[in-house]
Amino acid sequence: MSYLEYSVKTTPSGWRKVLYLNWPIVILLTAIACVGFLMLYSVAGGSFSPWAEPQMKRYLLGLAVMFIVALVPIWFWRNMAVVAYLVSLALLLAVEFFGTVGMGAQRWIDIGFMRLQPSELMKIALVMVLAAYYDWLPIKKTSHPFWVLLPVLIILLPTGMVLTQPDLGTALLLMISGGLMMFLAGVHWAYFGGVIAAGIGTVAAVFESRGTDWQLLKDYQYKRIDTFLDPSQDPLGAGYHITQAKIAMGSGGWTGRGFMQGTQSRLNFLPEKHTDFIFNTLAEEFGFIGGFSLLVLYVLILVFCVISALQNKDRFSSLLILGVGLTLFLFFAVNMSMVMGLAPVVGVPLPLVSYGGSAMLVLMLAFGLVQSAHIHRPR
Amino acid sequence: MIRTPLRPLARILDARKKGENPDAIERENLRIRHEQMRDSARTRAEGRLLVLGVMFFCAFSVVGARMGMLSASEPSEPRAQTQGASIVAARSDIVDRKGRILATNMETHSLYAHPQQMIEPERTAKALVQIFPELEEERLIKDFSGNRKFVWVRKKISPEQKQAVHDIGEPGLLFGPREMRLYPNGALAAHVLGGTRFGQEGVHSAEVVGTAGLERFLDDDLRDPAREGRPVQLSLDLTVQSAVERVLAGGMMLMNAKGATAVLMDVHTGEVVSIASLPDFDPNDRPAPPVEGSPSDSPLFNRAVQGVYELGSTFKIFTTAQAMELGLVNAETMIDTKGPLRWGKHKIRDFHDYGKELSVTKIIVKSSNIGTARIAQMIGVDRQKDFLGKLGFFEPTKLEITEAKGGKPLLPPNWSELSTMTISYGHGLSASPLHLAQAYATIANGGYQVTPTLLKQSGPRYGERIMRPDTAAAARTMLRKVVTEGTASFGEVPGYYVGGKTGTADKPKERGGGYYKDKVIATFASMFPAHDPKYVLVVTLDEPSENSGDKPRRTAGWTAVPVAAEMIGRIAPLLGLRPEYEQNSPVVMTSN
Repeated sequence: MSYLEYSVKTTPSGWRKVLYLNWPIVILLTAIACVGFLMLYSVAGGSFSPWAEPQMKRYLLGLAVMFIVALVPIWFWRNMAVVAYLVSLALLLAVEFFGTVGMGAQRWIDIGFMRLQPSELMKIALVMVLAAYYDWLPIKKTSHPFWVLLPVLIILLPTGMVLTQPDLGTALLLMISGGLMMFLAGVHWAYFGGVIAAGIGTVAAVFESRGTDWQLLKDYQYKRIDTFLDPSQDPLGAGYHITQAKIAMGSGGWTGRGFMQGTQSRLNFLPEKHTDFIFNTLAEEFGFIGGFSLLVLYVLILVFCVISALQNKDRFSSLLILGVGLTLFLFFAVNMSMVMGLAPVVGVPLPLVSYGGSAMLVLMLAFGLVQSAHIHRPR
Repeated sequence: MIRTPLRPLARILDARKKGENPDAIERENLRIRHEQMRDSARTRAEGRLLVLGVMFFCAFSVVGARMGMLSASEPSEPRAQTQGASIVAARSDIVDRKGRILATNMETHSLYAHPQQMIEPERTAKALVQIFPELEEERLIKDFSGNRKFVWVRKKISPEQKQAVHDIGEPGLLFGPREMRLYPNGALAAHVLGGTRFGQEGVHSAEVVGTAGLERFLDDDLRDPAREGRPVQLSLDLTVQSAVERVLAGGMMLMNAKGATAVLMDVHTGEVVSIASLPDFDPNDRPAPPVEGSPSDSPLFNRAVQGVYELGSTFKIFTTAQAMELGLVNAETMIDTKGPLRWGKHKIRDFHDYGKELSVTKIIVKSSNIGTARIAQMIGVDRQKDFLGKLGFFEPTKLEITEAKGGKPLLPPNWSELSTMTISYGHGLSASPLHLAQAYATIANGGYQVTPTLLKQSGPRYGERIMRPDTAAAARTMLRKVVTEGTASFGEVPGYYVGGKTGTADKPKERGGGYYKDKVIATFASMFPAHDPKYVLVVTLDEPSENSGDKPRRTAGWTAVPVAAEMIGRIAPLLGLRPEYEQNSPVVMTSN
């Protein structure tokens, strides 16, 4: 009862749709991706292989996917939401049995031409299904306990499966983005208050019990938590990434050492320099100015998403746009905090910049949905 | 909330009148209601969006601020904050009196493994065993393929070994910097330096802790960061020490002794210029303490300081000196030496029969036990005790090495008159060679107490005066005569006046009473130059036996004295003493 009630007549059709794309977002995405190419070119020691060239190809593919998705009317995608969710869930299940182990976790599934990471797909599917759910749900039922429980289950199911891979970072992000969707949809404050209070209470209880008779965890588990929270305690083990990353940022200073002049990344001190920790390469070579510029690009994307969402009178569309924006923001924020030592290292890539196929394609697909919602918004 | 009814009766009736479809009114009202709900939902959503927006803004600000902070930070290596840094690795060097290095630190590497990061544990284990043959391959494979996160492979490795390990190319093998203690002169002055071991060990450094000798005694001082790397300067002279050890080792071999010590001490300052104990060891690779056998036979045993022996006739000079000090005798007083001297069921004998009586000087020169015992009888128990106590024979020496505490003299449990008589010629009281050197230094320096030390001093450090200068001078004259015409005739060194006293003591049996007939401790306590001594030198040989003659000769005159003479001939020039020419008197061979 959402979209069709509005006038469809003014919605562009055919190739005219291209004119109605949200071009600022396309430009911003391309700009961020270009930063990524530049950095991948640099960390490879001034060479397009092995990272920059495949990344460019993927971006072009992603751009094509985005356009195609954008041209398909948004109501089709809304109807596909549940299907997408179920397919992602099935893939997550499949990865448990047929997945390839990479970096100590079972995350990938080989589908011939590329390796797919179902947890990436799930990020978008979850946003879609929650947006569709709240679009379908009569507004006055939003805060009804039963209708709150249902989306909670929708969120927890994939989260639990991702957690067993194990991929703590993605699992947490899925949970947080799902929770934020519910928050945006207008679920009553009390639920969030309750969950947050319960969470704090549990953490407090776990730490309070330490050293007492009713200790909830084993000693070594506490030690692991300690190192997780404060990696500097183990500078050659868990803290190594952070240590080297901080050195890279410090050596970049305000203006950076110059393109291709980074030592930490070039001399292989920096681990995962082309994936999770690519921001440090940027910060070392272009300094604070470069890093902050990238930050501004991400903020701008978010701002344009919010504007687009506010313009859109369709509930599904606006929730979807906000959800995609949120996901981007979350990944960006967690990655940034991680590489700057503000958050534990959980293995979250920097969206669009880090080398990686699935993440890039899925993100472009998500922005395709955003574009579709933008083009087909009720006028 | 007051709602407009979906089918307001008035409007329905009105519509019916006009012939319009009343359902249209309901649809219209429904649409309006939905729009209202939607609008309220939107305002709510916008409110929530605002909350989120604030959160985003905060997050971005934090990230931005952090970025700025990090950019402004110095790109310093974070090593200073790591766990290893709490271990203070800097240990002061130890240098000799001329600033030459005796102990220093060297940067090496330790080798450890992170088995979880290993790619080929088995190949790595094989390759490691080829580099370090002492490692066991099976054990390594077990360690590397188990659940362990961390395995020490070797605590210190050489640069060549490090390169070889590098060449294995295994990312799970890691190196840590490690400062180790290095004694560049090897076994030289081993017993003084003692040795070190690793204390608290981290990946980035390891604590170096002194285990023995000076390293242990001065451990806190050596590790004191306030020293700021200033070395500890010893009184030892590296060249002299080297010559002493060399001559002593040669002498020990020639005299078929199982052990030997030498102590060279400055008589005015108490500085120990050289102290050696053989057999010795290499402090770079300090052996483990022996599990069986007598600890005193271990190379780790410092005979000069820990070994307490009955030092025999060398004690006679103390008896005569005290008697002269008390005015009981002078150098020419004649003493009854008719033997044997009976005391209860004990008999005191001399090596040779020296006739009815001898002068005090001759008693020393000929080394008469009976004569000395008679003098001791004149002195009496209490006065003898007092005097020997002042000479330092009741307490362990205060040398700055841990082992000095262990060198506690053995005194007779019941100091009878018989004890006084036997102690007067060096039996019944055991002390270390260092004690003897300390006591001889008092005679040599004109009567002052002096404390032996290993630390370089700036000037004389006299203690209490316990002897008049003329007594000391008279005693020195006697000691000189021992060399020129007495038992230490081999002690004559061309160009140098040497004075001294020999001592040969039978070794007590380890089990049961009595003494071995064929095992002796031969000692020569000497001072040079005899007329104004600057140094005392005590050479002691454990179980020597000089076999060039028909039957083995064990007395100090045949064993310790020639070794000491050779030593003085070598070291006197090194100590800056010029030869004072004199007519060599014909060599008279006597012994004991």
